[in-house]
Amino acid sequence: MASMRKVERHEARTAYVFITPTVLLFAVFTVIPVVMALYLSFTNYDVLSRNDWVGLENYRRLIDDSLLWKTFKNVFLYSIIFVPLNIIISLLLSMLLSRAWRGVKLFRTFYYLPTLTSAVAAATVWIWLLHPEFGLVNGLLSYVGITGPAWLSETSTAMLSIVMLTLWQSVGSNMIIYLAGLQGVPYYLYESARLDGANKWASFRFITWPQLRPTTFLVSTMAIIGALQLFDQAFVLTQGGPANVTKTPVYLIYQQGFNQLQMGYASAQAFVLAVAILIFSLINMRVSKAEESII
Amino acid sequence: MKKGLVTALSVMMVAALAAGCSGNSGQENAANEGKAGSGSSGKKTELTFWGDWGGEGQKQFETMVNAFNKSQDKIHVKYVLQQDMITKFLTAATNGGAPDVLFWDRWRTSLYAPKNVLHPVDEYLTRDGISKDDFYSESLTELSHDNKLYGLPLTVDARALFYNKKLLDEAGLQPPATWDELEQAAAKLTKWNGDKLEVAGFSMGDLGLFNMYLQQAGGQMLTEDGQTNFNNEQGKQVLEFWDRLMNKEKVYKVGFELGLGEGQDAFVTGKVAMLYSGPWMLSTYNKYGKDLDYGIVPPPAGPGGDKGSVMGGFGLVIPEGSKHHDEAWEFIKWWTANKDNALLWAKTSLNLPGFKPSMEDPFFQDDPQWKPFLDTLEFAKIRPAHPGYSVMETDALAPNLQLNQQNKQSIEDTLKKAQEQGDKMLKDNAVVK
Repeated sequence: MASMRKVERHEARTAYVFITPTVLLFAVFTVIPVVMALYLSFTNYDVLSRNDWVGLENYRRLIDDSLLWKTFKNVFLYSIIFVPLNIIISLLLSMLLSRAWRGVKLFRTFYYLPTLTSAVAAATVWIWLLHPEFGLVNGLLSYVGITGPAWLSETSTAMLSIVMLTLWQSVGSNMIIYLAGLQGVPYYLYESARLDGANKWASFRFITWPQLRPTTFLVSTMAIIGALQLFDQAFVLTQGGPANVTKTPVYLIYQQGFNQLQMGYASAQAFVLAVAILIFSLINMRVSKAEESII
Repeated sequence: MKKGLVTALSVMMVAALAAGCSGNSGQENAANEGKAGSGSSGKKTELTFWGDWGGEGQKQFETMVNAFNKSQDKIHVKYVLQQDMITKFLTAATNGGAPDVLFWDRWRTSLYAPKNVLHPVDEYLTRDGISKDDFYSESLTELSHDNKLYGLPLTVDARALFYNKKLLDEAGLQPPATWDELEQAAAKLTKWNGDKLEVAGFSMGDLGLFNMYLQQAGGQMLTEDGQTNFNNEQGKQVLEFWDRLMNKEKVYKVGFELGLGEGQDAFVTGKVAMLYSGPWMLSTYNKYGKDLDYGIVPPPAGPGGDKGSVMGGFGLVIPEGSKHHDEAWEFIKWWTANKDNALLWAKTSLNLPGFKPSMEDPFFQDDPQWKPFLDTLEFAKIRPAHPGYSVMETDALAPNLQLNQQNKQSIEDTLKKAQEQGDKMLKDNAVVK
């Protein structure tokens, strides 16, 4: 018994040694900055000369900052279009590419490739593709007799353009996650369903989709967080314009902190964003757990 | 045994962390040594010069720095390229790692000077007998705060009207001198093919030029007490003029120039016949525009005969955190307040130098490209020195102007909303003492 405890203690100690570097890094680069930012959100910190406690002043200012709420409206609108499309397209792609047919690996690579491009480089190329007169997209549309819009410069299409680009960039990696999820669905479930006379739709509806629930939860949560933190694409493609329809909270926080030197106020904005992300992740968790799991 | 392992690991990690944090103190030590050296022996003082111009710009800076280093044997300057210079300066200014000379976009002065991170240079100017009359007073105003001057102008620029000579000749037109002439010329030069725009008569892509048009209409962006000042007759005149160009004459299409890089620039390829641009584009147009024959005239005058353009440009400033204020000043003085050196800079970089006497050189006087800019600079005004001005312009004014340009908001609503949102942003972003 005593020797048992000794072994356990030894294992525990070794475990601590192994996790120390990670925990230290996590503390230094994540926990401490977050706590600092929370503190700063109650000050008028400007990096250079001031750091006075102002209490809830920054949060009071947030309430009638119409531009901040507009940026939140923008990313919610973006999420509503982006998240479901992301899930549907990446699921469809993975089901299409999960079977073993000739050349499937090639297609998997093709769909994954956009994920590897840097957001800024991809956005730069897309600006070209979306040009109203000389761009490829409107060029193709004109073959079928449609006059395409000035995608990035019109208030009605600017956000849609960003949805297109980010979908193109992110479905690849989600497709991989779904592919892994599909591998984990036990084959005997399909077999017995087929014996019971289930058609393809029924086996998707009652086996694949419920089995993939943890995967969908992961993909949708990551998509929601990513959507709320949208920055690079909006920054490069449209600079938040036209008429602020593609300005995002992160963009505003960046501008408030680094261009206007109001780090305190920017921190307060960042905390509102963090809370929003938390709330939406919780909602997503509720939705995903609404039905009883199958196993 | 195991305890020893844990200790060893912790020591290693602490050491790694300490090494990560010690960068700045190391720099400080080096700087101190440098200073001590310059005092006692004949060792040169090392100056660090930060700028965010890479590529061609970096070569241009290095040409000047090398010329300075050769000109004397007390100071050695080194140019350090900082991609994200202002962010880096923010942290450097507070922890002692500040550079000695900073390449400075002048409009930032009103935001940074009140925070005491820049070193005033008035005393040096008096000591060395440098006349303020040798610089454009607007550019000095832009480098000043609270009656103190924080550096000297390195370049001056203002927008003038660039026109494609070939297209104007074909249409039998003279370069426009008034709004009316501009409108007529733009209408004549525009070519549509069905609903496809082939040649835009006049570029209306940059709504940030509102300030310039407002001056031409006889207005000012801000009142004396820091409120917006465009929801009035002058502001209305500008938007009505834009409305005629966009919707009646249809001289432009929204998004027409977006994303066209240097080689495909719409002006270079003859797809835009006229546009407002500045001297910073000369090298691009000359480089890519092999078939482009263009001319430049000062901006056309508004209905009341008022002229207007916005002056901008860069300066050199000394951060308060530098330990070599005097030597940094020597470098700045050599570059910006000396006829020959300012001229060398101008020829190297194709920029208008801030030092007026160097513009008397034939390089500027005999070249028709420079004349219109020199004329424009006589009446060009800087942007208002309010710390919230740029935010007001980009977040309150521009979005409303864009809605108006896309016919989603009337002229009256546009001016009214831009005023309301703009005044709030000016108030929120004013410096709190």
